[in-house]
Amino acid sequence: MLATQKITRAMELIAASRIPKANARVTASKPYTAKLIEVIQNLGAGGAGSSHILLERRDPQTVGVVVVSSDRGLAGAYASTIIRMAEQRIIDLRREGKQIRIFAVGKKAQAYFRYRGYRIERVFLGVTDTPGYGDARALGDAVMGTFASGQIDAVETFFTRFQSAASQKAISFELLPIEQPAAGEGTSAVSYAYEPAPDEILDRLLPRYVEAILFNMLLEASASEHSARRRAMKAATDNADDLIRTLTVSANRARQAEITTEISEIVGGAEALASAR
Amino acid sequence: MAKPFQVDVVSPEATIWSGEATFVVARTPDGEIGILADHEPLLAALVTSAVEVEGTDGSRTIIGVHGGFLQVLKNQVTLLTDRAQITRGTKEQAAELAATLAAEDS
Repeated sequence: MLATQKITRAMELIAASRIPKANARVTASKPYTAKLIEVIQNLGAGGAGSSHILLERRDPQTVGVVVVSSDRGLAGAYASTIIRMAEQRIIDLRREGKQIRIFAVGKKAQAYFRYRGYRIERVFLGVTDTPGYGDARALGDAVMGTFASGQIDAVETFFTRFQSAASQKAISFELLPIEQPAAGEGTSAVSYAYEPAPDEILDRLLPRYVEAILFNMLLEASASEHSARRRAMKAATDNADDLIRTLTVSANRARQAEITTEISEIVGGAEALASAR
Repeated sequence: MAKPFQVDVVSPEATIWSGEATFVVARTPDGEIGILADHEPLLAALVTSAVEVEGTDGSRTIIGVHGGFLQVLKNQVTLLTDRAQITRGTKEQAAELAATLAAEDS
């Protein structure tokens, strides 16, 4: 029991040490996304066309579902919460007569959906612990490629938003087709010079935008995973504490009972001998 | 002294360079462009190449960028790029490095 407790405590501390780093990466990735959105808005305000394939809204026959889970367990209900949320949506979509393609991030989602006989389009492993931008690009390429070729008509993503170390929330949103960020308050119609033409810039921008969103999503999910693991391991360590206490008491009581029995047997035996004499 | 303006070089992982500069050189598909203060509003794509930033203190920073975008608006220059790295070497070396980084990813 003590050995198990040592393991859970170590895992708790490791997970705890990774939360700030993961959180810092979430924060560090935000200026890029914010600037990218700003540029897209300015392009839109400047009159760039919106005929890009990633903006194309089709009547969805087949829906791609991206589920960000974890590779490892021992993180409480972290993986199962997001997987169950995605599965519920899949069941609803199927009831509407739609086809599903699953993009599973993490071993947990892969195992779950494979076991239940769902069609899995792509699997991404070894990503969730410390996601890099290259991982976001690989995921983005797969999703955007399948969308652009018409095999899927929409993409919904499921991941766990990192609100704080104490609170994470399973959420979903529609990734594709892209909802072009509307020109906000701060964007006045600036007449830019463009190099190359605006439509060409938009062509290059939109894939980067999708990647940035996916990267952000992977980072948040990773921070959430570490938080969930820390919490689960803390609970396990505390539980081990309680178990050790009750078990020690029971062990002492059992030993004492044995000693008492032995003494009374000896005393009883001695008395029987004495009275027989 | 030349008039300074704000420059930010931002990648998804971090803000690579941020500060006041007097001159920026970058490469777009149409060719090399130099930017001084009060440049007209500009949106440009970047090619994988080296970007040169001249700081107000006279320092010259060479940053290898892997594609991306450049926005000039109201004396604010923003460079957005997948991957960027500050290098000590020459511009050619920086461009080479950016190309290697790009190759590693794919």
